[in-house]
Amino acid sequence: MKTAAYSSPKTPWARFFLLLSLVAIIFSAYRVYQHATAFTVGLDYFSPEFQQYWMRLLYIQLPVLALAGAGIVGWLLVTRDRNLDKLEPAEELRRYFVLLSQILLFACIAYLTASPFTEADAAWHQVTVRDTDFTPTHIVLFYFAIPMFIMSGVAAFVYARTRLPQFADRVSLPFALLVAGPIMIMPNLGLNEWGHTFFYAEELFAAPIHWGFVLLGWSAFAAGGLLVQLLTRIVELTRLVSEDSAEPQKVLAAG
Amino acid sequence: MSKSSQAVSATRSGMSSSAEQRKAYIQVDLLAIPLVVLLFAGIFSFHFALLVGDWDYWVDWRDRRWWPLVTPLAITVLPAVFSYVLWDKLRLPLGGTLTILCLTFAAWISRYLNFHLFADFPMNFVWPSTYIGLGLILDCMLLLTRSFFWTGLFGGFAVGAFLYPLNWSMLAPFQVPVEMHGTMLTVADTLGYEYIRTAIPEYVRIIEESTLRTFGEAVTPLTAVFAGFLNILNYWFWLWIGYLGTKAIWIRKIV
Repeated sequence: MKTAAYSSPKTPWARFFLLLSLVAIIFSAYRVYQHATAFTVGLDYFSPEFQQYWMRLLYIQLPVLALAGAGIVGWLLVTRDRNLDKLEPAEELRRYFVLLSQILLFACIAYLTASPFTEADAAWHQVTVRDTDFTPTHIVLFYFAIPMFIMSGVAAFVYARTRLPQFADRVSLPFALLVAGPIMIMPNLGLNEWGHTFFYAEELFAAPIHWGFVLLGWSAFAAGGLLVQLLTRIVELTRLVSEDSAEPQKVLAAG
Repeated sequence: MSKSSQAVSATRSGMSSSAEQRKAYIQVDLLAIPLVVLLFAGIFSFHFALLVGDWDYWVDWRDRRWWPLVTPLAITVLPAVFSYVLWDKLRLPLGGTLTILCLTFAAWISRYLNFHLFADFPMNFVWPSTYIGLGLILDCMLLLTRSFFWTGLFGGFAVGAFLYPLNWSMLAPFQVPVEMHGTMLTVADTLGYEYIRTAIPEYVRIIEESTLRTFGEAVTPLTAVFAGFLNILNYWFWLWIGYLGTKAIWIRKIV
């Protein structure tokens, strides 16, 4: 890894807003598509239109998301920092800003997934009785939005593991919980669909069959612990040795 | 101890001046504040949808027995959990107001986009209840008493007791009696009959007709007091979960 001449650590705002715009465009496109076709060609699983407009989308998005996720995580692992013991404080601080911007992107996707797209499913199932597990709202929520949610969380976790000394040798339990919650939603989806297929075709949203999702959503309560871990280290890295010191990298306490 | 752990223990600074330190703190604020707001909106919306759900989605679900009991128990969870981190670590008495404000924004966006535009229900039928006052009560109690114990005892009780009166002015027009096909019922239930859904309130209660109990009567304050009593314990329990959530735990390996 290069150790460039000292420069003030900055958040990569341009890259962050580029990615945020990309996320906004993709999620908006899904929303517009859902609005335009869910109630027209999305009501009957056995119709050719459903296969054409909805199942085709499912078959395309799943491999694309799997490849994108594997690609991002693979790239983060291959380009990992193998000399973390030589990491300068300014560079470490910059990486904390990168990590925080990744977690902010994760939070944006978390909001979109957990609120507008989850409740689109609630609204949809109040007016239709399902004839398939792959309803238009499920194809968007469970097979696009939640995988995106998982991908953004795992990417941030792997970034921290491969680029920050504090996270490299140890596992942050709050961070692991924060990422594991969305991942475990997918197996829990199996219970949800199994129940809806056999004994609960309609959709009372507060029904016990959905409480597994709530429990997994509570994993986000560990965000406080992660923030404590991140901010504690950021405070250490931004502490001033003395006001008149021109040298940016001072050893405060030899370990 | 490995090299990267040694790098962590040797605490060094990445700052050269107080101006640079201030810039770094501003960047942390710019990243952390929207992150927290989006996470609150997403988690609270998800949690509330799957525990309260239809009781808040539809005006005809807001009855005198279950809605004022289920809602305070669910709405106290995030204020209690995040009051712990915000008050204990940052001395900010914002946990109640901020989390409920985030829920309110998320609810209005979702009701309009999903229930009104997407599924075609009138906004008059799907407007979200107001809960911001309950968050204010909790936060004011914490600020004045500086004690989680007294906040739980008085604030937790007040959340349960005041939920119904807080919404009464908005709900009252929907509790006006009307006659439909020779039967007296509320405006809210009339709307419910017109908009058939897969989860109508007959799931949890008998739709009462032609008695004064249809319009609330003495059961409402009884429910409010019972909800207040339960909510004292509820607040304390979730505060404890908030305490666990802020623990910055590191582990050597996951399995």
